[in-house]
Amino acid sequence: MIENLLTYIIFTPLVGALVVLLLPKSQSHLYRIVALVAMAVTLVLAIVAVTNFDTSVAGLTNSESQIQLTQKTEWFSIEMGDLGKFSVDYFVGVDGLNLSLLLLAAIVLFIGAISSWTVEHKKKGYFGLYLLLASSILGCFVALDFFLFYLFFEFMLLPMYFLIGIWGGPRREYAAIKFFLYTLVGSILILIVMIGLYNSVYDPFKTGVEAGIFEASVLPTEEMIIDVQQGVQNGAIDDADIVKSFNMISMADDANYLPYSILGRNSFGEIFGQSARWMAFLALLIGFAIKLPAFPFHTWLPDAHVEAPTPVSVVLAGILLKIGGYGIIRTAFSFFPDAAYHYSWLIGFFGLFSILYGAMNALAQKDLKKLIAYSSVSHMGFVLLGLAAMTVEGVTGAIYQMFSHGLISSMLFLIAGVIYDRTHDRGIENYGGLANQMPKYTVMVTIAFFASLGLPGFSGFIAELMVFIGAFKSYGVIGAIPYWMPIVATAGLVLGAGYYLWTLQRMFFGKFWVKDKAWKEHLTDLNLREYLMLVPLVVLILWFGIYPATLLDLIGNSVEGFTQLISESIQK
Amino acid sequence: MILAQSNMLEGLKDQLQHLTADIFWLAPEVTLVITLVLLLTYDLIFRQNKSVGIVAIAIAGLAFSTLLLISNWSELLVTNSLMGGLLRLDQGAVFFKLLFVVGALLAIVMMQRHRKKDFFFHSSEPLVLVFGLLLGVFLMTMAANLLMVYVSVELVSICSYLLIGLYKKKSNSEAAIKYLLFGAVASAVMIYGMSWLYGFTGTLDFTSVQFVNGLYLVPILPLSIALVMTMAGFVFKLGAFPFHIWSPDVYEATPTPFVALLSALPKLAGLTLIFRFVQVLDLDFANWQLWLGIIAIASMTIGNFSALWQKDAKRMLAYSSIAQAGFLLVGLIAFSESGETAALFYGVIYLIMNFAVFFLIQLFENKEGRIPFDNFRGKGNQEPWIGALLLIVMISLTGLPPTAGFNGKLFVFSALWESWNSNGQDILLWVFIFGLLNTVVSLFYYLKIPYFMFVKRPVDELSLNNKPQIDRIWGTILVCPLLIWFFKSDGLLNILNSINFVF
Repeated sequence: MIENLLTYIIFTPLVGALVVLLLPKSQSHLYRIVALVAMAVTLVLAIVAVTNFDTSVAGLTNSESQIQLTQKTEWFSIEMGDLGKFSVDYFVGVDGLNLSLLLLAAIVLFIGAISSWTVEHKKKGYFGLYLLLASSILGCFVALDFFLFYLFFEFMLLPMYFLIGIWGGPRREYAAIKFFLYTLVGSILILIVMIGLYNSVYDPFKTGVEAGIFEASVLPTEEMIIDVQQGVQNGAIDDADIVKSFNMISMADDANYLPYSILGRNSFGEIFGQSARWMAFLALLIGFAIKLPAFPFHTWLPDAHVEAPTPVSVVLAGILLKIGGYGIIRTAFSFFPDAAYHYSWLIGFFGLFSILYGAMNALAQKDLKKLIAYSSVSHMGFVLLGLAAMTVEGVTGAIYQMFSHGLISSMLFLIAGVIYDRTHDRGIENYGGLANQMPKYTVMVTIAFFASLGLPGFSGFIAELMVFIGAFKSYGVIGAIPYWMPIVATAGLVLGAGYYLWTLQRMFFGKFWVKDKAWKEHLTDLNLREYLMLVPLVVLILWFGIYPATLLDLIGNSVEGFTQLISESIQK
Repeated sequence: MILAQSNMLEGLKDQLQHLTADIFWLAPEVTLVITLVLLLTYDLIFRQNKSVGIVAIAIAGLAFSTLLLISNWSELLVTNSLMGGLLRLDQGAVFFKLLFVVGALLAIVMMQRHRKKDFFFHSSEPLVLVFGLLLGVFLMTMAANLLMVYVSVELVSICSYLLIGLYKKKSNSEAAIKYLLFGAVASAVMIYGMSWLYGFTGTLDFTSVQFVNGLYLVPILPLSIALVMTMAGFVFKLGAFPFHIWSPDVYEATPTPFVALLSALPKLAGLTLIFRFVQVLDLDFANWQLWLGIIAIASMTIGNFSALWQKDAKRMLAYSSIAQAGFLLVGLIAFSESGETAALFYGVIYLIMNFAVFFLIQLFENKEGRIPFDNFRGKGNQEPWIGALLLIVMISLTGLPPTAGFNGKLFVFSALWESWNSNGQDILLWVFIFGLLNTVVSLFYYLKIPYFMFVKRPVDELSLNNKPQIDRIWGTILVCPLLIWFFKSDGLLNILNSINFVF
């Protein structure tokens, strides 16, 4: 059970999707139940995964033995004659970098399933695609083989395209294709690097087996692996015995790059007169920054959010964006730490710019959903800033921010959905004094807004605090980003407070007024289903704001390992 | 005098003996010719209800030649020189011939399932031409002599012109004439180039040592001109830039089964010709990587960008096939063993994707045989299975997971990267980057059909053929390999790897 746990997590929604497909149309009332049950099971399994995670294990992110709950079987391998062979594995596992995000994904997808309860139009397609999307998102977070990761990463696009394109708002067709094309540009950049990487990296264990140094059945020790690595570097192992691999853990270790490969640390390869590693890093960074999204690649986000139906917005903001951040940590920073250090100023700057630019855009919005969308851009800027700092606090803050923003933005989009369900209008200026009409709703909105603007006691505060600490320390510890960046970034907090409080004042306080008199009777307070979605989120946001240790214990070791590898790599 | 005569007789006898020995290897081709003759005579003897007999003969002919090809495959150990050096048979050629037989079979299936089935089977004319074309592409894959190259290319071309003009309508005649003119020019340029090569070397056998040695003595400028002119004919068959302009009109006007055939078989045969020619001459003579790289980039970019503006599915696929020709070339440009295998793999996938997509869109043809995008409007909800199949094929054509199209692209571009990593020619990197970024452009138009099917609201009822179940089954059969070869492509690749593709 435990050894297959992650596989169960990935495939439970897929089984749900199959059930939905096989159920006849006459049973259409069952679709949503199937979806909910599948997501509930997934959530339980994810919690089991968290409880089974050993927080005492050290977390070097380039060592396979320090990844937990792993499962690795060969998927297919292809002989390439003299060029050796390359193998693709079904390789999943968790460490501190992805475990929290896996949990987040399970939570948000479950809430999204509740939120999908009211979908009436083409139910079979909707729930089938939703579950397919869930499967690929979960798979993306746990896949440790680049091929597998890429498969899940790409496979997310198609269900998302149709979910926005068919069930979305008036400009859904435009928004859907824009989303698809933007993200695809990103994935092609990632694919370019992936092809380069797997041709440069070998799997030391499999190569050892192929070269006859040890048996496939033995558990390799560090010395044996180093033996193989030296054998490859000095040519003692024949080229034909080398097993090239998509293993993302192997890719994070400089010693696993083939001596003649252009992306290797010691070969100083160049592309267009620039260091090949720098170029590859930039391609990965941009590829995932589109998904994150960071300025200037963010323009698809407001469109997609505004047109997407509420549950899809929740999933999009709550988890999909995090894949961008996770991708940067797991691939770009892990594979090319030297390049990351070289570009840290730039990354920090774009993070900073996203924070300010997103916040200022949010100030100007008249559509509630667009406001939240731009606030997402702003908050994702903190992720980049924290990563650019390259300190333990900064990276922890970045991951914490992703987790926290996943919960808070889900709540914000649910809140926008509440009002849209009732009046089919999200214009901020069309409402006034809603507190009189919907007091309980107003309480929820206030909580969500305060959580998002980073009030102490909520999870967002911890995350942003850690990012700031990390960013301030950065110059002294590692010299990645200058002091003025976090100082200027604080303006983002002020602006955040500005747009949230202003919205609160315009929409909820004062005398009750709505643009259309007929809306008044539709504006009823929260119902049970909405409580079921919002209350757990409030509890979680408070929990992770008051007891951050719950999450920090999970993240801690791996982030320490991660930053340690970075600083070692810089000194080399 | 008498001695000389008996010598001549001896020589003739020798030659005849060689010919009879070659018959075993050429049995598949002989089968095709016999089938062709049978089809013609059957047409003359019977007056009515010919369709069953025609199909039966055709299928029997294909089945028989498949069996013979398989026996060739299992007995072929070394490359065989046939017909006194005109042809050369290797495993690669047999493999391609098997592919072509599959293609022809699928084309017959498409004709069977076509709305105007009678048109294809009321006389044996269309099938005779299909077999002629098949014979042509068979010979193209084996040609080792410039004259043979020319004859086989012309055989394919003439059959193609006739197939396109078979519908006696204005647009068809226009398309056929367009194709004919382009083809004639390309052939003329090609044979002119060949005559230069003959003049340089004194031999037509481009696999011989004499040919290669002769070329070493020629200055670079005339040699380049001659080679470029010769390549023109091959590129025309491949349907790549700059000989691509005929395709949209031809695709739009021609009956869909013929389009499927014409966009797959001659293209792959053209690819083999380029492959052999380039391989024999090697990189010493010309910077093939640069030339072919430019052709590939131009084909991909022009094809993809032109396809964006189309409103007719067949026209769109015409431009897409230009772009795909570019992708087919990518594996060749790598000039390595793995590139060769990758190109073969992509060729196989291309054939399957191509027939799958034409088979599926054929179901949505209107009465004039056109398929404007409006025909797909909202049909995905009425026919979700076919819609899903089309979606998978389109994803595969774009080259995204989880379809074999992704593996194809992954392998060819991997080979390219490897080759660039070892020899560092800049053009390879450009092809790599342009090729992959082109995927984004292509997504936009490939997704149009699923978009019309699922997102747009329906305007009219869908009227499928009678027995739509059969279409669903055939569609599924065609799409399955695309999924299976994504999840398990090592089997096919290992076969392809074992093919020795050297003259």
